[in-house]
Amino acid sequence: MAYDRKQEGGHKVAQANRPDYRLEVGRAEVPVGEPRGFAVLDPARAATLKAWVATLIPADRTLPDAAAMGAAEYIDATVSKVPSLRPALLTALDTAERIAQGKAHKTFAECTADVRERLLREFQRDGDADAFQMISDFTYEAYYGHHDVLASLEATTGWKGLGPMKGGPMKPFDPGLLTRVKALPPRWRKV
Amino acid sequence: MSAEPRADVLVIGSGASGAAICKRLSDHGAKVVCLEQGDWIDRARLPKAHVDWEVRGRRHWAANPNVRRWPADYPVGSEGDDPIDVYMYNAVGGSQVGFAGNYWRFAPSDFRVKTLDGVGVDWPLTYEELAPYYTINEAEVGVAGLAGDPCGPERDPLPNPPAPLGRPGELLVDAYEKLGWYWWPTEQSITTQAYRGRPACDHRGWCTFGCPLGSLSTADLTYWPGALENGVELRTNARVREIMLGPDGRAVGARYYDHEGVIQEARAAVVVVACGGLGTPRLLKMSASPAHPDGLANSSGLVGKNLMVHVQSFATGHFEQPVEGWRGTWGGTVSTRQFYETDPGRDYVRGFIMSGCPGWSPLNLALQIAPWGSGHHAAFDERINHEISMYMCGEDLPEESNRVELDWEHLDAFGMPGLRTHHALNENSKRLGKDMIAHGRQVLDAAGAKSVRDFGLAPIWGWHLLGTARMGNDPQTSVADAFNRAHDVPNLFVADSSSMPTSGGVNPSHTIQALALRCADHIWENRRDFV
Repeated sequence: MAYDRKQEGGHKVAQANRPDYRLEVGRAEVPVGEPRGFAVLDPARAATLKAWVATLIPADRTLPDAAAMGAAEYIDATVSKVPSLRPALLTALDTAERIAQGKAHKTFAECTADVRERLLREFQRDGDADAFQMISDFTYEAYYGHHDVLASLEATTGWKGLGPMKGGPMKPFDPGLLTRVKALPPRWRKV
Repeated sequence: MSAEPRADVLVIGSGASGAAICKRLSDHGAKVVCLEQGDWIDRARLPKAHVDWEVRGRRHWAANPNVRRWPADYPVGSEGDDPIDVYMYNAVGGSQVGFAGNYWRFAPSDFRVKTLDGVGVDWPLTYEELAPYYTINEAEVGVAGLAGDPCGPERDPLPNPPAPLGRPGELLVDAYEKLGWYWWPTEQSITTQAYRGRPACDHRGWCTFGCPLGSLSTADLTYWPGALENGVELRTNARVREIMLGPDGRAVGARYYDHEGVIQEARAAVVVVACGGLGTPRLLKMSASPAHPDGLANSSGLVGKNLMVHVQSFATGHFEQPVEGWRGTWGGTVSTRQFYETDPGRDYVRGFIMSGCPGWSPLNLALQIAPWGSGHHAAFDERINHEISMYMCGEDLPEESNRVELDWEHLDAFGMPGLRTHHALNENSKRLGKDMIAHGRQVLDAAGAKSVRDFGLAPIWGWHLLGTARMGNDPQTSVADAFNRAHDVPNLFVADSSSMPTSGGVNPSHTIQALALRCADHIWENRRDFV
C-alpha cells in the first residue's frame, strides 16, 4: 500500500494546511507509460530532466533507465496538471544546470553518469531537498508503474510484476496443519 | 427545496454500517432513504484495473482525503504528539472501498475492558448479544475462514474456506509451530469460492488497491445490491449540512446539498447517523442549535472525544529464498492471537494480533529501500522477491484528549467545516506497541529471516477511526445507548465505528457491521415508538 511507506528523514503526515507536493499530486492523474511529449518544459530543461531521471534510476542488465521509460515526460505531465509544482521543478533544473556548468563546464546532460550522480548528490545535500525528493518520487512512480519494467522484473528477480493483473491458482489451505493448535487449551477469557 | 413524503428511516452514510442498516431494515419491510455524500466508485477506475495500480493508489485513489480531494472529501488536519495519517473514503461503500478485508470477531473480553483490566470502559452489551449478528454478517458478506480457533468461543462454520497460504504463509506457519504459539488462518471478507453471484478470488493480491473481480467484500458489492433491490432509495452526492429537529426535540430529517449544490430536505420517522469515526462527530457538531449548543446528542460532551485508531506497525523480514509474494490475499493469510489477552507478566494491559502478509509491491519497496543512483538495482533486486511482512494491530485505549474538532478555517467545497484530529499514544499503548513489534520480529526470525526491519509506531496509521460517539448505559459518559439510540434524541441513532467504546485489538469492520445489524433490528422491533 502506498500509504505504508515511511519516508527518509521521517514520515510526513499529509496535512490540509501545509503546501506539499505529496498532497498536490492527488489532483494529477497521469497514466504511466502513455506516449507523450513535453507541455511545460522547453527542450533544454527537458534534456536536463531526462538526464536527471536517468541518473536516479540507471539502466541495468535487461532493464532500461528511467528516461527511456518516459519518466521525464511523466513528471512534465504531472506539473502540467498541477501548476503549483512547476516553480520547484524549474528552479531545481536551473540550479542543476548552473552547478554542472560551474563545476564540469558542460551541460548537465553532457556530463558522464558518474559526474551527474556526484552533482545530484551535491544538489540533494545543499540544494532544495524537497524538490529533489519530488523529482525522485515521481521518477520511481514512472519507472515501477511501467508495464515494461514490471514485465522485466521476472527475468531479473523472479518477481512476476504482471502477476497482480492476472492472478492464478494457488494450493488450498490444508486444515491438517492445525493439528497441534487444535489440541491446545482455549486461550480466551470468559466473562 | 422540495417537500417529500416521510420515509420510515433516513440513514446518513452508505459505508460499512449504513449499507448493512439499509439492507437489514429493508429486508424487514421498512421504507428507507440513504444519503451518501460521495458517489459510486467507478470500478473501471479502480487502481488494480490498471498495470500502474501502485501509482494510481498514490494519486487519485490515495487513502488520505487531503491528497485525493474527491469532490465529497473534506479537509482533515492532524495534530498532537502522535498525529494520525488519516485514511478514509467518502463513497458508496465508505472506507471499505480501500480496505484489506481482515474480518475479525472481537473476543468476549473486549466487551468488558474496565471490569477485567481496570482501564477504558465496558461496552453496554456482551459478546453473546452480538454473536448472532456476527453470524448474519458473515453470511451476508461471504467471510472466508475456519471455525474452531481456540482463541475464541465456539461458533458457526464460516461460509467460505480460508484463503491459500502461499509461500509467505507457509513460512510463518513453520515459525509458529517452532515457537509453539497459537495461530489460525485469518478470517477475511473475500469470496474464496463463488458466492452469491460474486466470483472466487483469483489471488491477484494487493487487495486495498481495489478488486476488479469483485471478490473483496466491500459494502457496495455486499449489502447495496440487495438493499437497492428491496427498494432503498440511495441518494448519492448528498452532502448533509445538519440534522433537523422538530418542536418536540425529535429528529425529523436532514438538510443536504444535492449534486447541483441545491439545498434539499429528507424527512423520516427515524434518523440514523452512520458517517464513520470522523464524519459522525462532524455532522453531530454541525447540527448544533440553541437547544444543543455543543452539537446534537452531545449533552455528555463526548461527541468527538475518545478517538481511537489502534496501535499498528509492520515488521518486514528479508529471506534468502524467494517467497513468491506477488500473489495471494494481501491482508494476512495466517494470524496469531497468542498475545491478545491481558497477561499480568507484561508491563501493559490488553493485547494485539499479528497477521502475515506478502512483502511490499515494487514501487512501495523501491521507495522504502532502494537508494537512487548506481546502487539502485542491486538494493531492489536483493529484496523484491525475498520479503515477508507482519502486520501488527493492538488496542488503543480511549482518552478524552484524543479527539476530533470542527475546523472552520479549512472548508469543503460546500462551505462546511473540515476537521482537526488530535492524538497521542498513552503509556500503555507505547509499551504494548514496543512489545508487539518485538514479537513481530521474533516470528520473522523464527521463520528464517536473515534480517528484519520494522516501521515503529509513527506516524499513526488512521485506517480505523473509532470511538467518537460511544455507546454506554450512562448518558453522562456516553452518547448513545446499548442499541445505538442517542441518549438526548429519542429517534436518533448513531451506529458506526464512532459507537465503539473501546477498540479491541483487531480490525473493526466486522464488529461495526454486526452492531449496525443489531441496531437495525432494534429499530424495526420498536418501530411503533417512532410513528
